[in-house]
Amino acid sequence: MLSLSRSQKLPQPGEDVQVLELLVQRDREFQELMEVAQQQGSVHQEMQLLEKEVEKRDSDIQQLQKQLKEAEHILATAVYQAKEKLKSIDKARKGDPRRPYPTDLEMRSGMLGHMANMPTNGVNGHLPGDALAAGRLPDVLTPHYPWQSSDVSVGMLPPHHGNDFGLEPPGHNKENEDDVEAMSTDSSSSSSDSD
Amino acid sequence: MAVAQQTQEKESEDCSLLPLVHDIIKCMDKDSPDVHQELAKLKAKIQEAREQISNMPGVDCSPVEQQQQLATLREQVRTKNQLLQKYKSLCMFDVPKAS
Repeated sequence: MLSLSRSQKLPQPGEDVQVLELLVQRDREFQELMEVAQQQGSVHQEMQLLEKEVEKRDSDIQQLQKQLKEAEHILATAVYQAKEKLKSIDKARKGDPRRPYPTDLEMRSGMLGHMANMPTNGVNGHLPGDALAAGRLPDVLTPHYPWQSSDVSVGMLPPHHGNDFGLEPPGHNKENEDDVEAMSTDSSSSSSDSD
Repeated sequence: MAVAQQTQEKESEDCSLLPLVHDIIKCMDKDSPDVHQELAKLKAKIQEAREQISNMPGVDCSPVEQQQQLATLREQVRTKNQLLQKYKSLCMFDVPKAS
């Protein structure tokens, strides 16, 4: 436009108008674009807020994942230990094929061991547990009742055979004693009560 | 709302170069020595507009792309909120303390 006004005295009829119109049009486009840019700025601010929210959610999710993994580990350990416990209980019921007889500790903690610990009122010179410790099987099979005397302690059968043995004459006991001795694996006397 | 619109209109008028061009043409018609001064003003205004645009956030992509990114972000937030809500609504059990 400057060149038109300075160099040309007679500008072409519509050229300056065209230039002016072009200028106005460009200016209008520029203003519209600036408006769009400002709107994009607002959207950008909203996006920044959303990104912060996403970051916070990610952090929460990671924290939860960590806790869930920890819980899973604890549960897996507990389940494994429970299974091992069940296996050991099952094994105790069936018995160990490598050792098909009860140990001293198992016998003491069983019913017979508890019965042996009952007070004997001087029937035995020493505790029945000593008999168990000696490892003599027939003594283990022989129950010791408070009413038994030292003479008949060896020949007594299991309790479910009745309470009559206490009243039997000594002769019968001698027969039972022979039976027990036959059953005994120990060559010596199976009685552990005599001192 | 009306105040915001008025502010926006004023801002769009501020970035218009037409007033400066008008001043330049007036000076040329008067053969005033201030022509060069007015030209310098126009040049400065253009430079200022360039700097303003370069500092504007969010103009690195087109409005359409930006809207897509915004929709994606909103969907992300919604999904993650749902996931967290799901985890929080699971049955709770106490973690036994290690003895």
